[in-house]
Amino acid sequence: MSLIPQILRSLKNLPPFPMVAQRALLLVNKAEVSIQELVDVVKFDPAITANILRIANSAYFGLRREIHSLNQALLLLGTQELLKIIIASGATRLFGNAAPGYFAEQQGLWRHSVSCALMADLLARELTLAEGNLCFTAGILHDIGKVVLSLFVDQKFAQIMEVVEVQGEPFHKAEKIVLGVDHAEIGGEMARIWDFPDRLRQVIKHHHLNHPESLGDEMVLLIYLADLLVLMFGQNLGREGLAYAAYPEVLNRFNLKERDLEKFLLHFGSLWDDAQVFFGLLGNDHGLQCAHRG
Amino acid sequence: MDILVSVADLKVSNQTEHVLVTHALGSCIGVAIYDPQARVGGLLHFMLPDSSLDPGRALENPCMFADTGIPRLFRECYNLGAKKYRLQVKVAGGSQVLGGQEHFQIGRRNYAAMRKIFLKNNVLIDNEDVGGCKARTLFLELASGRTWVKTTSQEIIQL
Ligand SMILES: [Fe+2]
Ligand SMILES: [Fe+2]
Repeated sequence: MSLIPQILRSLKNLPPFPMVAQRALLLVNKAEVSIQELVDVVKFDPAITANILRIANSAYFGLRREIHSLNQALLLLGTQELLKIIIASGATRLFGNAAPGYFAEQQGLWRHSVSCALMADLLARELTLAEGNLCFTAGILHDIGKVVLSLFVDQKFAQIMEVVEVQGEPFHKAEKIVLGVDHAEIGGEMARIWDFPDRLRQVIKHHHLNHPESLGDEMVLLIYLADLLVLMFGQNLGREGLAYAAYPEVLNRFNLKERDLEKFLLHFGSLWDDAQVFFGLLGNDHGLQCAHRG
Repeated sequence: MDILVSVADLKVSNQTEHVLVTHALGSCIGVAIYDPQARVGGLLHFMLPDSSLDPGRALENPCMFADTGIPRLFRECYNLGAKKYRLQVKVAGGSQVLGGQEHFQIGRRNYAAMRKIFLKNNVLIDNEDVGGCKARTLFLELASGRTWVKTTSQEIIQL
């Protein structure tokens, strides 16, 4: 008894992808972006400039001067850093509702997604990935399929967990077995509907490495590794815990040893406190105040 | 009142209204120790097995590593009047992803490093809930010494 027809039907009610994030996505990896182009992006959402200034002035970036304008932020942080903030800030709309199938906490999916983005960003720098600038965005959006699949997973949670516990399958495979589709596939479908750049859609669709060809795609592997390291780090863990498949191929591909993984975790742990300002982006829409200048 | 222990952090207390708690342990390990007579307890959340990875960082924050965090946890409890021979020791965490038999073993290495330190110092573990792929939150109630784990699937395990 497959739920696929019902799940696909729920995709029909998909909200539009937030305009600001959509426009910002087109500028990622573009060689030169003018201040006017950025102004054109952020003018669709007045809250975003405030978010940019708050994050740019947070301890995460550790700038010595206080930034008062978009122009200054552009000069001091650079276009690509600014685009990350804009995309994260624009994407919050998609994460406003809880995802009870996956997370007990209201903001669980958002916090996991931001953690994965920050880890992906860190890995992209350490491993000097060619498409490094897109990794943060891919991290924010990798589990977007969970937004749609959550209610179905919640309904069938006991059954899915039984497949995990009895057959030892990772959670996303158990989703596929019980529901007929998993959150990566649904995410890929959403990316198609929202007309994401191809690379981004591929990463979302393959981030659990469920496709043999994905083992040859560095950005997919990087997001997979970021996701896995974030689970090991702990904190905003979902109901499935660490039921996630280990693929040692990833280590070979990037020429990594266990000790390198420990270093990544150490590095991530060191920026953890300062990174809290990113989590706060979601709260803003509900009128919560966040601390200025960590 | 809940006293939050963050990642790579420790808290000690002798206030009976306190409950020390550390959230969602992945491959990290939570160590809870308690002296029932002095009513002193402490909770450490360490991340990695061995400070040789980055000695500078270990100086800044000893709680990052098993070999620098555990001695500090015990010392801070002694400072509040705890005695080693009375301490109850409970641990939780050290989870692994599935099929990570040879790789991605940080959870297991964290556990092994902790055991080695305990062995060298003649410390016995009274109870533990470690390994597997569960995510655990660990609690220590100062009034009673009661220690328990809550998993993300809402299961409660008394230690
Ligand atoms: Fe996923
Ligand atoms: Fe994920």
